[in-house]
Amino acid sequence: MPVAEAIAKGHELPSLTKELSQRRIDVYSGVRPRSIHTDEDWAREKGFRTTLAQGMMSTAYVSEMMTRLLGAGFVKGGTISMAFIKPVYAGDRLTVHGVVKATRPEGAGTRVVVEVWCQNQHGEKTAVGTASGLAP
Amino acid sequence: MTEFPKLSYEALTVGEEFVSDPHLVTPEDIEAYAFAVDDHHPWFSGPSPFGGPVAHPTLMANQALHLRHSKYVVHAGLHAKMEFNFLEPVRPGMRVRSRGRVIDKYERRGRQYMVTEYVTEDETGQALVRGQFTQMLIPEGTRHAGR
Repeated sequence: MPVAEAIAKGHELPSLTKELSQRRIDVYSGVRPRSIHTDEDWAREKGFRTTLAQGMMSTAYVSEMMTRLLGAGFVKGGTISMAFIKPVYAGDRLTVHGVVKATRPEGAGTRVVVEVWCQNQHGEKTAVGTASGLAP
Repeated sequence: MTEFPKLSYEALTVGEEFVSDPHLVTPEDIEAYAFAVDDHHPWFSGPSPFGGPVAHPTLMANQALHLRHSKYVVHAGLHAKMEFNFLEPVRPGMRVRSRGRVIDKYERRGRQYMVTEYVTEDETGQALVRGQFTQMLIPEGTRHAGR
């Protein structure tokens, strides 16, 4: 797809789907006792139905989506701002969405601002925010 | 010798600063992170527009998020908000550290939050990532009501 089309306002980015296994959460967070991410008994004691993924795993997925869109212009010059609005549990399946919200000139390029959100397998939003980066 | 008091809303002071130990970024770190987030971009292990492998941009986020553990025993908490500004790529072989400062604490709907601004730097002091995050405190002896 031509760059101009991919960054046009309203363009919907290809979504990503991620399966959050306990093993991936363990590697992300590091296994330790008394952690709501890796100790199921502790997570239940703290009021959750099971262990939770770290919110930052969702930001990593957004980073992947933005890097696919903008490449080096996200790795250097990118931004993410997200709020985590619902817990993501081990075993959940997240779908990451993005829609181009705005573009504006910046230096020799164009800053592309994308509205981003993650949804679980029940259709509930778990994280919302914006991400941006530089298109050549 | 560092003492580690229990983190509480009352103990926390706006303006207090944290610093992590330096961490040598290894190819194994980058590979493990790629597995954890199921993103195996070729730039993580081969040539990139930056002249060699680079890490996933969010690789060192946990170093920043864990800054408060350098001073406190943290009972439990939830991450509420996160902001990143990716200034320079993180590369294998760098020794990176994060510094942070508590810029706010507040209570809302019976819950307690702290806000930290941070920078992650390489061994020369060059800023790689800047941002801020908001963490909810789950005090000892309490349960989170769920969201």
